[in-house]
Amino acid sequence: MIPLQISPFQYVANGVVFSSIIVLAAIGLSLVYSIADFANFAHGDLMTVGAFSALFSVGFLRPMLGDAGVFGLPLWFFLALAFGMGAAAVISVITDRVIYQPVKGSDSIGLLISSIGVALVYRALVFLSFGTEAERYGVPRQGPIPWVRETLGIAVTPRNLVVVTLTIVLVTALHLTLTRTTLGRKMRATADNADLARVSGIRTSEVILAMWLIGGALAAAGGVFLGLEELVRPRMGFDILLIVFAAVILGGIGSVYGAMLGGFVIGMVHELVPLFYQWGISPVGSRYAAAVAFVIMVAILLVRPSGIAGDSG
Amino acid sequence: MNDDAYEGARLDKNDVVLKTTDLEKAFGGLVATDGVSIEVDRGTITGMIGPNGAGKSTLFNLISGFYENDAGHVTVNGEEVTDLEPHERARKGLVRTFQTPRRLEGMSVREAMLVGPGPQKGESIFSLFFSGSDVTEEERANIEQTRELLERFEIGHLIDQPSTDLSGGQMKLVELARAFTTDPDILLLDEPVAGVNPTLANDIKRFIRELNEEGQTFLIIEHDMPFIMDLADPIIVLDQGKVLMEGSPDEVRSDDRVIEAYLGGAGP
Amino acid sequence: MSAVSSWVSETLVRDATERRIFAVLGLITVLLVVGVLTGVIGPRFLLFQIALVGMYALLSLGLNVQWGYAGLINFSVAAFWGIGAYCAALLTAPNSPLGLGLHPVFGFLAAIVVSAFIAVLIGIPTLRLREDYLAIASLGLAEVIRAIILNERRWTAGSSGISGIPNLMSWLPLTDAATTAAIVVFLIAVVYLFLRRVHRSPWGRVLRTIRSDEDLAKALGKNTYLFKMQAFVIGSVIMAIAGAFYAHLNLYIDPSDLVPLTTFYIWIAVILGGTGSNRGAVVGAAVVIAIREGTRFLNDIGFIQTLGIDLAPLRLLFVGGLIILIMRFRQDGLLPPKDELIWPAARDESSTGGASPSGAVPDGGTSSNGGDDR
Repeated sequence: MIPLQISPFQYVANGVVFSSIIVLAAIGLSLVYSIADFANFAHGDLMTVGAFSALFSVGFLRPMLGDAGVFGLPLWFFLALAFGMGAAAVISVITDRVIYQPVKGSDSIGLLISSIGVALVYRALVFLSFGTEAERYGVPRQGPIPWVRETLGIAVTPRNLVVVTLTIVLVTALHLTLTRTTLGRKMRATADNADLARVSGIRTSEVILAMWLIGGALAAAGGVFLGLEELVRPRMGFDILLIVFAAVILGGIGSVYGAMLGGFVIGMVHELVPLFYQWGISPVGSRYAAAVAFVIMVAILLVRPSGIAGDSG
Repeated sequence: MNDDAYEGARLDKNDVVLKTTDLEKAFGGLVATDGVSIEVDRGTITGMIGPNGAGKSTLFNLISGFYENDAGHVTVNGEEVTDLEPHERARKGLVRTFQTPRRLEGMSVREAMLVGPGPQKGESIFSLFFSGSDVTEEERANIEQTRELLERFEIGHLIDQPSTDLSGGQMKLVELARAFTTDPDILLLDEPVAGVNPTLANDIKRFIRELNEEGQTFLIIEHDMPFIMDLADPIIVLDQGKVLMEGSPDEVRSDDRVIEAYLGGAGP
Repeated sequence: MSAVSSWVSETLVRDATERRIFAVLGLITVLLVVGVLTGVIGPRFLLFQIALVGMYALLSLGLNVQWGYAGLINFSVAAFWGIGAYCAALLTAPNSPLGLGLHPVFGFLAAIVVSAFIAVLIGIPTLRLREDYLAIASLGLAEVIRAIILNERRWTAGSSGISGIPNLMSWLPLTDAATTAAIVVFLIAVVYLFLRRVHRSPWGRVLRTIRSDEDLAKALGKNTYLFKMQAFVIGSVIMAIAGAFYAHLNLYIDPSDLVPLTTFYIWIAVILGGTGSNRGAVVGAAVVIAIREGTRFLNDIGFIQTLGIDLAPLRLLFVGGLIILIMRFRQDGLLPPKDELIWPAARDESSTGGASPSGAVPDGGTSSNGGDDR
């Protein structure tokens, strides 16, 4: 099918890009899991909502800003990214207030099932607003960066670099928020033990607000990057939800840093499956990349349900 | 004043029902149980007290198998149960209650009680179809036992109530009655009178004493000092994950270390 | 006749709310019969719809065992349904990739065995853990099974699907549609009676306890893992039977119905009908089919077509909104379970001694007995 031997480094490069997206998504899912204590099945569709919100803003940003660019991408793209992140953050807070908080009993199972409903509503609204077709942001096509191609023999586009760089910036900002600010410390304390945090006088409502804002914004960033790398599709978020869950479980539910690590590993594995297949390590090819993530997840549940970063037991 | 307890204890002075040896458990860096070795003699009501955070609940969870221990052993009737699952330990005669009983959604008190006896023939799908009459017979006996127990605990009138309608104290009584239907060698009660009004608390005390006189062994965590001091002997005092002392209520009351632990525990 | 009506009032209708619900259902039935008699609705169409409702009812009964009895969150209903359908199609259709053309009995047997096996496989890693692990893993399982059916064309014919699946029992002196409807009624009756027996028993009681408080069940010596596994396998097998039946109903099968949305339709049927209630599962299934076919019907109306609205997203919106609303306002569903889970044979005898069943207590007692249905 592919005549030329693709360099193994190419798969690694693809893996880093895909990992960035999964890491961003996994952080939000993990935050909700640890602080609000439920598996949020609407998280994938929240990514979609973020990606389409950004697409919507492109409609007015692009005429305003023209084609001025930075880092090889037009300026409007960065503003659209910010718009999408903001929109998803606001939407997830509203969803929490209107739907999750009033759920009777608010136990983790009732919330989980409600989140399925939320996922379907999100997707339906995307369908109704943008139609069912796949879209593009309209960022001009760029070739691979020449010097990388010459030195390493792999194709890396400027937009790949932007995705990875911005992910590193966002993750670092989150790390600083969690470790250096009072709010961040409160969030970590609540994630560790919600009851204890409440008893010791932490206003959990403030923490929950921050959690939805941060989780929503990062999910949207992941969604926009996924849309930039591939296509902006109404099912894009739901389709990778399983992979994001696998990342969170691999990292250990409730551990934000575990989610980052898990996201990186799962993202890499997902992109390396074809390579493993070539080398005869994996029995299946890229069509089963999601299935491989699933198998890893089940293996983790069997061997170490608390994940690689969680407590033993 | 603890004549009843002494009565029970005399039955079999050297017979140990439950024994833990150097039990250890840490959560992250926090050591919750730090080498606890205790023994509960058959026929006693053994109390367990200690300031908040002393590790009482963790110890209960380790003994009953809901937490896995990092080190140490648990034996019941001399038999090693350390590696057994909670339900397997229950089958060995080690049965516990919970501090805050969750309500059984949609179940009447009768149903809630009938879950207790076990293992029942009717819990096997095979029996439901191929030995229905055995199931019927067993179920009748269990219903009868349920009614008698509820009568005995003076809550016979509640048998048709949805268990979600019971007060906290009534639920505690149902729990005690249900735990008893499992025919346990030792009953671990986690704060049996927490949040229970004084009248009902007195009833619960009376019932525990009655069951004890018939030979039932208890290990009880309780924060209500007058209650536990009046009921239990010996009393084990835990502090900071360790056994601080063990002795009669009078010994515990007059022990300086215990007073200090409680005062110290109240401070920062 | 009076025996029938007393059976109806004791086993089906328990209070005023339920009387209203069943009155509405009765009215719809009458309307349908009138429709057929006057020729507005073709009998063939109606019988097909009955068969479809029956299949959904089977799926709902299966999910009810898992979610309603034991509190297990299974998001791979569509996958187990697909396993059943593909077992039937692959073994019985002469032009399937396997080309065996076996008797339908083998299809049903294979559906049962394969679904039970896969249920155990997915149960082993998840059923010892918190409820949401099964939810996540089952969602994954559904995707994997769909990927396998789509990609392994040599074995499954991929997206082109399998046609030529034989009718069931074509030797019966009925039309094909009538035969199929009769078979699904029979299947539901068998499954319903089976579930009734196992549910109102010590077994069902342990599951209900696990659903409310698994730790309590463990503390009382119940091997909760084993009980959950049994419930999961039984539910999955029922779903696979529904799938096998569908293959013989539709005579064609492809992977397009294996999408998660199918699973969520069944979830709505169960939570709308009344989690844990077998009657509710059947009624819920009928309501869901009405929604599904009703919206499909709207699509055919010229006026709506001229508006240029695509109804698929609206249906999605409706399904999602319904889930949210039920969880918010009526978690008990239309017909919440009312039975005490006590072995009926033991109950009758002892009712004289005051331990009367909920159904036999005067009205005041019944309402206090059944839990809150308001």
